[in-house]
Amino acid sequence: MDHVILAVENCDYVNEPVCAPEDVSELFVFPNFPGTNINRVVILTFLAMLIVMALLYFAYRKPRLVPTKFQAIMDSLTSFVKDEVAIGIIGPEGVKYFPYLLSVFMFVLVGNLFEITPFINFPITSRMAIPAFLAIVTWFLFVFVGFAKNGFGYFLDVVWPKTVPIAMRPLVGIIEFFSVYFIRPFSLAVRLFANMVAGHVMLSLLLVTGLVFITAIPEIGVKGVFGFAWFGLGLAIFVFEMMVAVLQAYIFTLLSAVYIQTSVHPEH
Amino acid sequence: MDAVLAVVNAVTVLAQEAGGITGSLNVVGYGLAAIGPGIGVGIVAGNTVQAMARQPEVAGMLRTTMFLGIAFTEALALIGFVLFFLG
Repeated sequence: MDHVILAVENCDYVNEPVCAPEDVSELFVFPNFPGTNINRVVILTFLAMLIVMALLYFAYRKPRLVPTKFQAIMDSLTSFVKDEVAIGIIGPEGVKYFPYLLSVFMFVLVGNLFEITPFINFPITSRMAIPAFLAIVTWFLFVFVGFAKNGFGYFLDVVWPKTVPIAMRPLVGIIEFFSVYFIRPFSLAVRLFANMVAGHVMLSLLLVTGLVFITAIPEIGVKGVFGFAWFGLGLAIFVFEMMVAVLQAYIFTLLSAVYIQTSVHPEH
Repeated sequence: MDAVLAVVNAVTVLAQEAGGITGSLNVVGYGLAAIGPGIGVGIVAGNTVQAMARQPEVAGMLRTTMFLGIAFTEALALIGFVLFFLG
């Protein structure tokens, strides 16, 4: 809410086409509550955790063979992650990794959907700490699984690939080393982070600009009619962000499963 | 490295003295970075549509692979987007 008030006060709607703060990262920084080190993002993160825990707990507290409506809804989510992602990608032993994949999927989904819920309107996954930590956990998981299942041969299979002609093995080995151990977690985190940042910036700027221009029509006349165009575009981006939120959660989980699969079966 | 910085400074100064081009090279950089992934995502999605038309019974597997391909290709455009704010 503070951002909306600041934007309305500081926006020079006569000259500027869009109401934007000088530094867009101001949209993502929140002040600490007085006396503590806690700001709104921390509270929203814990809220996301509680929502995920509550959803899964109340659905499966007393599971029935013929499910209740709420259990049926959660069944569709969990069986999707289990059948399509865990078993479909990793194979029959994917069931061991299903709890982790479900946790990641639900947490990232709820965190992304916070961008479009009323009164919250801030995706917690747009602060780099959260995608970075989830990507680091996935990285530890697939490296640990690789070494646990294949021993030191796992490292050798990456750096000295046998399926490549021997003259190219050093070069491909170096590329593969950086690709598997560094680029994968980095891109996993940045993909989720940048998608959410882009969505939040677009929604904030477009909707606030539309609002400011529409309420300033008595002052600036015809130019204020542009406010309707900005607001309409903001609403269209809102619908698009619904799809992006679910898609990015699915892609994070899918790529985690793919990386685990390449550790479990490194010959592919 | 100094040569690159000198070129960037020269282009910025020239643009501003030419009368009216303001802003930074961040925007131009991001625009250039978005060309490749745009073409790439189009190729991935187009080939998926064609493959689904040839053999509709594997459409589920093709859809999953399409999402995977789009995620990898779009990562480059998004890294460019992040560097836009850092530059």
